[in-house]
Amino acid sequence: MSDQDNHTPPKRQYPPLYEKLVPIALGIILALIIVLLLIIFGAALGLFPGSG
Amino acid sequence: MELNTWLPFGSFIISFVFATFIFRRYLERRGRHLLLWSIGMVFYGIGGFCEAHYGAFGWNALVFRLWYLFGAILVAAWLGQGTVYLLARRKWANWLTALLALGSLYGLVRVFGAELDPDLMTTSVHTGSELSGHAIVTSGVRMLTPMFNLYGTVALVGGAAWSAWIFWRKRILLHRTLGNLLIAVGAMLPAFGGAFSRAGTANALYIGEFLGAVLIFAGFLRATTPIKE
Repeated sequence: MSDQDNHTPPKRQYPPLYEKLVPIALGIILALIIVLLLIIFGAALGLFPGSG
Repeated sequence: MELNTWLPFGSFIISFVFATFIFRRYLERRGRHLLLWSIGMVFYGIGGFCEAHYGAFGWNALVFRLWYLFGAILVAAWLGQGTVYLLARRKWANWLTALLALGSLYGLVRVFGAELDPDLMTTSVHTGSELSGHAIVTSGVRMLTPMFNLYGTVALVGGAAWSAWIFWRKRILLHRTLGNLLIAVGAMLPAFGGAFSRAGTANALYIGEFLGAVLIFAGFLRATTPIKE
């Protein structure tokens, strides 16, 4: 093994559970943000009877 | 005590405890984001108090106006403005705060000058058990709500999700990643509660607000408490 290989820092990792959960949670949040923005735009445009 | 009274009363208590917590942190460390978050949580608490007051004692025009101004229009935008200070340049954040303050004053004038009819809250388009903007008769006032909430949602939820993404990509500060995820979810719950409430689900708004306050508080505590290795 070369000196260079020895000095390569290991890739940072979260604990395995969070490695899986965090991206799933971020994806769900992104989808919810889009839905929420659509609802807000819909309310602003008066598409929902009870907006505000 | 009915659900439509104790749920918002719970939101009021949690919000004021949280606001006090953040404000004490602001006094220790400074940082305008902390000041704005504490202001936002006071607004959250005022909204909860007004809802509980309505549940316990019924209609009161002053309480309704306070609820609509602080609980429906301003809360998300002021909380989001705190996040803007974390993510944007100070100069831009200051300008946006000035703009938000002016917009809030305009909202105050419109809400306190609006004509109200409480009978409109109990029509078939609403649950009847919760406060609703339906009671505002004057046109144009309710249009303010989605505009402020759009800004607040993008800033608060988007900011928290963006921060979580940055920390996760670099695989650093796990506590901040988790805290920001909780804040992002918690900040969305009142808006979804409001949407379900508009669709006729009784107490959905109050449930969303209560759980939202709990999750935002939990997220803040998580984000500010490092996880021991």
